[in-house]
Amino acid sequence: MNHDTPNSPPSPPAPRAHLSSPATRSTLRIQNRLIAAAREYLTSAGFTEMLPPVIGPVTDPGSRGSKQVDIDFYGHRYKLMTSAILYKQASLLAFDKIFCIAPNVRLEPLETTDTDRHLAEFHQLDVEVAGADRERITGLLEDLVVHMVRSTRDALPADFELLGRDVDAFTELLHGSFGRLTHADAVAELRAVGHDQSPDAEIDWAGEALLSSKAARPFFVTDYPKGSRGFYDRESRTEPGVLRNFDLIAPEGFGELCSGSERTNDYAQIVTRMRETGENPQKYRWYLDLVREGVPASAGFGIGVERLTRYVAGRDAVWQANAFPKLPGVVSP
Amino acid sequence: MSPVAPAFPEDEVRRRARSGAAAAFPAAEDYGHVLFGACAPTAPEDDIDRMRLVPPVFMEERLKKLIELGREPMYDDVELTTGIGGFTAALPVYVSALGSTRAAGGDPGLALGRQAGRLGLPMVIGENVVPVHGYGRLDGPPGDATVTLLGRLRAYTDELPDGLGGVAVQQSTEDADAEVWNLVYSDPAARPLLDSGRLAFELKTGQGAKPGLGGMTVLDTAAAARLGDRYGLDTAALGERHVLRSSSPGTFTAEILRQQIRLMRNNFPRARVWVKLHPGRDVAEAARVAVDAGADAVTVDGAEGGTGWAPVAFTGGVGLPLAACLRRLADDPPPCLLVSGRMWEGTRAVKSLALGARAVGLGRAALLSVAEDPDQGLIRFTECLAMEMRMLISALGKYAPDALDQQDVWSPDGN
Repeated sequence: MNHDTPNSPPSPPAPRAHLSSPATRSTLRIQNRLIAAAREYLTSAGFTEMLPPVIGPVTDPGSRGSKQVDIDFYGHRYKLMTSAILYKQASLLAFDKIFCIAPNVRLEPLETTDTDRHLAEFHQLDVEVAGADRERITGLLEDLVVHMVRSTRDALPADFELLGRDVDAFTELLHGSFGRLTHADAVAELRAVGHDQSPDAEIDWAGEALLSSKAARPFFVTDYPKGSRGFYDRESRTEPGVLRNFDLIAPEGFGELCSGSERTNDYAQIVTRMRETGENPQKYRWYLDLVREGVPASAGFGIGVERLTRYVAGRDAVWQANAFPKLPGVVSP
Repeated sequence: MSPVAPAFPEDEVRRRARSGAAAAFPAAEDYGHVLFGACAPTAPEDDIDRMRLVPPVFMEERLKKLIELGREPMYDDVELTTGIGGFTAALPVYVSALGSTRAAGGDPGLALGRQAGRLGLPMVIGENVVPVHGYGRLDGPPGDATVTLLGRLRAYTDELPDGLGGVAVQQSTEDADAEVWNLVYSDPAARPLLDSGRLAFELKTGQGAKPGLGGMTVLDTAAAARLGDRYGLDTAALGERHVLRSSSPGTFTAEILRQQIRLMRNNFPRARVWVKLHPGRDVAEAARVAVDAGADAVTVDGAEGGTGWAPVAFTGGVGLPLAACLRRLADDPPPCLLVSGRMWEGTRAVKSLALGARAVGLGRAALLSVAEDPDQGLIRFTECLAMEMRMLISALGKYAPDALDQQDVWSPDGN
């Protein structure tokens, strides 16, 4: 990754220049292969692909200050999906193992415009498994990512060459067994090198870049504190205040690729956690009615498709992995 | 229609808004022929009114100031500049949230924002402004965009001097549906405040006028239909032409408060976090939870406070008076405690500071001042308040608000 240069990568060009650029074409072919490989892997493992809703009365409350998009649904305030999380849990009433590739819209704070890793519109490969715990779901995620990267590396040598991406960068990844450290350990590690990371919050972007730059293979950060994530990440039964969740962080400074967790599926806990995250339970009516009658315990994750593509293709910025990129606050097609 | 405040010294406030510092004294023309002395006091309203500020004879702090200055200090040597919840204010005063009360909507709300901005006073923008008046971008009510949240923000920031003031935006439970904080945090209009560290979000757990209840508004039937799916509406309570709209007060436990504050810090790392507490019997515990979770300021609204509409049972008989809140908070006071409730003149403000507050909030006094003169009312009122505070603080032999302490206050019950 060429982030040693003081200049940040260029902003998205006009659609014609962007779409006809050889680098964009190679990047999108890599993305296409990654998605095809995921479908192969998950379908053969017994997953059903669902088509995710785009609008609904309520969506993932999200985090880190991003704003939802309201739409007028016949006089009712509806939302564009910021993630498929509520529908993922609900879908387990139909099938035990599901996945979808879902478009998400988040009006991120303007300070994210030049992080090289935020888009206002992006896609997520969402997976949810009934009855799974964190060990099982991170194991699945690991195998899935290894399969996606191997398949892409083998299929598209010319594209990697055009992009100047050295596929030896994946040697460690393809061995599997990604690293693991807890949020508390990550905080301690960052503080030891003088980075003032709050123990109660998400790893901030600068901190995550520090950890990511030092790593040679992807690694999991687990056990985030409660105040840093949504109500659907389950709190540990044995360690109050600690969530049974994880992020997958790419090496080489590319940062977060994926978030996931065991899910809260107990009605009273969900309502309480909604209050702890400042949400008004009233607006989650359909979802709460559903969980009150019972939804399966589960675990799942969502891989940022553009972020994974950016990492695999070795691009400077995440917008380069999207055909029609929308940067926060930038008016674009 | 100009607002009236029958339960408040409205005439005095309006006089200050007209005359500025001169209103802190008897009429100058009476000097030399009227014999003054302890005035027949009006009936004290509460325990803070019953207390007195008690300057000592021996003043070590004054000696220090004398040495520092090389001359005898005077009242204008009192430095009132104060840090308030991460902001800097020219005096230990901020403008409280006025919410969606109709008296604060429209022009008075904007005039208030402009004058508070010019003075560099931190200002709280109340809950329910967005659901009732709109935000002010694509969704603003046509022709009335200035009363929106964005309109109020702009009115304030257009006048704000560098380095002073700041805005704290509240979000109630129902406001969470409109994502007020996310909206402000991601809006280009708020960026100058954010970039200069002058944006805060205030988590509101309740209010002084009706502790334990949420916000209340009286609507006509048509407006009620528009808001109907988001609020509790009582069509029977107020007769046929009016509807009582109630926000939910929101459910809080220690853990809910703690986690909400942490989430605010997680999601809005560049904004300050303020927490407003109603005068509950566990106010000290709630303040401790807020501080431990990382709140930059804790606001306590005494039972004397409130600009909004409240059931008479509540204004008369529910919630701790501010004096009792301050007593309960005295053992372990929050580092930045902001208090409100009937604030309008210097002694009440200085007593509150001596009892542990960092700053006092103006509610009704600010609204009435602006109503008296939309261009200069609050500015003159504040000039008077600042001079009074300087005189009172210097009389105690002190030259900064943070030097005040409990010894500066005498209470008739012997404390």
